[in-house]
Amino acid sequence: MTYDTIVIGAGVAGLTAALRLADEGKRVLVMAKGVGSTHLAPATIDVLGFDPGPVASPAEALPAFTSANPEHPYARLRPGLIAASVEWFKERLPAIGYQGGLEENFLLPTAVGAVKPSALVPETMAAGDLRTGGQYAFVGLGLKDFYPAYLAANLAQAQPDGHAVSARSIEVSLPLAGRPDGSSAGLARMLEEPSVRDALVRELSRKLERDERVGFPAVLGLARAGEVWRELETRLARPVFEVATLPPSVSGIRLYNAMSSALREAGGRIHVGEPVVGAETSGGRVEAVITQPTARASTYRADTFVLATGGLASGGLQLDSYGGVSESVFGLPLADTPPPGGPRFLPDYFAEHPLNRVGVAVDDRFRPIDAGGQAVYENLHASGATVAGAYPWREASGNGLSLATGYAAAAAILEGAS
Amino acid sequence: MIGGGSTGAGVARDAAMRGLRTVLVERKDLADGTTGRFHGLLHSGGRYAVKDPDAAKECIAENVILRRTASDCIEDTGGLFVCTPWDDPAFGDEFVAGCRATGVPVEEIRVAEALRRAPRLHPGTSRAFTVPDAAIDPWKLVWGCARSAEEHGAQILLYHRVLGLERDGRRVTGALVRNELTGEELRIHADVVINAAGAWAGQIAELAGCRVNVLPGKGIMIAMNHRLVNTVVNRCKMPADGDIIVPIRTVCVVGTTDTRVADPDELEVTQAEVGEMLDEGEKLVPSFRRARALRVWAGARPLFSLEEVSDTREVTRSHALLDHRERDGVEGLVTITGGKTTTFRLMAEVAVDAACEQLGVDRSSRTAEEPLPGSEDGRFYFLGSRLRAREPVPQTDEIICECELITRERLEETMRRRGSANLDDIRRTLRLGMGPCQGGFCTYRATGILHAVERLDHRAANASLVSFLQERWKGVHPILYGDQVRQARLDDWIFQGLLGVQHLPT
Repeated sequence: MTYDTIVIGAGVAGLTAALRLADEGKRVLVMAKGVGSTHLAPATIDVLGFDPGPVASPAEALPAFTSANPEHPYARLRPGLIAASVEWFKERLPAIGYQGGLEENFLLPTAVGAVKPSALVPETMAAGDLRTGGQYAFVGLGLKDFYPAYLAANLAQAQPDGHAVSARSIEVSLPLAGRPDGSSAGLARMLEEPSVRDALVRELSRKLERDERVGFPAVLGLARAGEVWRELETRLARPVFEVATLPPSVSGIRLYNAMSSALREAGGRIHVGEPVVGAETSGGRVEAVITQPTARASTYRADTFVLATGGLASGGLQLDSYGGVSESVFGLPLADTPPPGGPRFLPDYFAEHPLNRVGVAVDDRFRPIDAGGQAVYENLHASGATVAGAYPWREASGNGLSLATGYAAAAAILEGAS
Repeated sequence: MIGGGSTGAGVARDAAMRGLRTVLVERKDLADGTTGRFHGLLHSGGRYAVKDPDAAKECIAENVILRRTASDCIEDTGGLFVCTPWDDPAFGDEFVAGCRATGVPVEEIRVAEALRRAPRLHPGTSRAFTVPDAAIDPWKLVWGCARSAEEHGAQILLYHRVLGLERDGRRVTGALVRNELTGEELRIHADVVINAAGAWAGQIAELAGCRVNVLPGKGIMIAMNHRLVNTVVNRCKMPADGDIIVPIRTVCVVGTTDTRVADPDELEVTQAEVGEMLDEGEKLVPSFRRARALRVWAGARPLFSLEEVSDTREVTRSHALLDHRERDGVEGLVTITGGKTTTFRLMAEVAVDAACEQLGVDRSSRTAEEPLPGSEDGRFYFLGSRLRAREPVPQTDEIICECELITRERLEETMRRRGSANLDDIRRTLRLGMGPCQGGFCTYRATGILHAVERLDHRAANASLVSFLQERWKGVHPILYGDQVRQARLDDWIFQGLLGVQHLPT
């Protein structure tokens, strides 16, 4: 079978490109080594959080940001595309119930009690917005990946948005008998059981103050998250919200599930566990990609390809012991590499390390380009963390970059086809 | 007693066991200096059999004693000396002769047998010899000595820096020390001061106006994520850079270099040194560069020399006892330096002998007979012990550091016992954050727990977290490649993206 487009990588970038194309009637196949970085990160769509101080409005900050950072992937996007991608995402995934937009960032508490600006947030996290001020109670559920007392101690001093909030912690023990060493995902499944929620509500009702909103680690249900969260809001009679914590990210798993089922419903296919190990190319075009899930190699053909394998964190880019950095599937030329012989990382952990922004450079159609600025393959597009020039974990732009560049790659393919 | 490395802790124990009123002062944590920064080899003496026979004899004698008295700190891995394609097989004969002459048990085995014991060894290996090398855990060893010293009445003052030695004419009468955590100063009176500050011994002796020529020799080591070998493997040649791989705990360590440095507190690791070490590793175990490297560090050997030398490899690995009465006309001060962790017990014994002589006390050491706490049953440590303790019964206790199988209960108990806000102290006690993720998952958890156990305010807890990250990064950034760079990038996402720790006040 020949596909219109094969997308390599099943993170937010790859799934966004695939879903956009499938929605337009394209035959799309997503091939991935494993589930993407969705499972490692919260489901918030951070477009631009820091530049370098906190950003109140991404819409207002972006023009200055892109002109100051002309090599940033955002600077490659046509005006209005980020806004369009954010609005599309919000509407396309009703199960997550995204709130917000580009105009104003939410200010969400992190699991250490720092404050993170975020453009789009799942409905289960929205009530954690610190801009409203007031009293917050954070509930530990005995989860080893969440420390509400430490969180509250920092938050009480943080003065987000210029005014103080009050924060305290409450420990609640759930009936965990026979379930040792609970993980976030395990706890999320437990909370889908009515008896567990009954016990939680019973104990919490006694401990909460009148005007407190209440924050939990992001474990309020997995398949039935909306339901669990709504029920807790109703029964506790106050705003309830989740705080993202260590991977595996339950909110990220929900996002992956929502995106992958939307894709399947739109006619797309996903092969997870089938890494692409190479490609057939000729005449400046990619003809096919090669996978080798078992001993036998398989070849998949398509008209266009999207590379969304991620950066160093997910193996889309690799660094060898001699300091050589390479793109894993096509061996594409890379930009923003440290000077030869120079350091790749600096002794200060929080420094901007020379290797931080490495990736493939792209043209305005998000095609990887060589040093001369020419597209390497006319039908290969790149998106997400594979693209050079960003510093997403410091800018707080992670999923925003993936969404916008995945959306842009799909747009380029659709325009090329029409 | 000045210095909290293996020698200092050994001295404190030996002196306390002889009934001397003893106090140990250490400027940082126990085993924070050279003792905690070596490859973990309990020498058989084979390494020195040809080049430094006196050191070889000391090593094998102490090896036998420690196997008996510190068994819980030792994994009996055995050791091999192998001739790789880069080594002259004829050196093997010289090696065997050296071992025989110094009493190091040695046996040549067939190469096929060596490859059976260490299947990843270079298949072009031409000769192989067994020796009783082993792996020794420096933190367990030092803490064992310290605990035993305390049981015998000694006092251990950590994070106490010696500012000066008290003098009464030509006699040293004690020390002025400062509590580094509180800033409080303290005068300690002592009839004898023993200087076992290792690579820093020259600095301490200078406080009494004595010149001790200690040459800090920098050695770098790299820990690999897997035990590429399960027995110690040495290159069968004269001592050189990168000539050994030691399997210890969950990792194996390749070492080492020997470069003279001016200041034992300034030990930088360069990309070039890392590259050289990996190339040498490749000669013992092909594909070494494709294995996952976890961490690199450097230690400062305390090499004592009577005269100026340029190449620190030429300085003997034997220890040096300096009684400053005869040497400098200063009474009440003994310096013990040089040597190796393998010979720490002997060094402690001779140092305390010298102190006893000055004190006019006639009691002899019992450390060669009396086992350390935890080693009474004579059983060696084995790698699966933490798992074995957990496995048989279903446990509800959580594992906070999955890499090193540290439970919440154990972590909380250690935090209470140590009473320290420094997660690196906890690391040295429990190996927190020393596994493949290098603290990626346990740092946040441990900070949350420390915040509660120690009742820290938010700034102190944040400082603990951030300084632990910085400390872990120090040993990671020079060797980041392959899978470990993926791990480091995930850690960046966790700490800077998800948690935003860079925005916290410290």
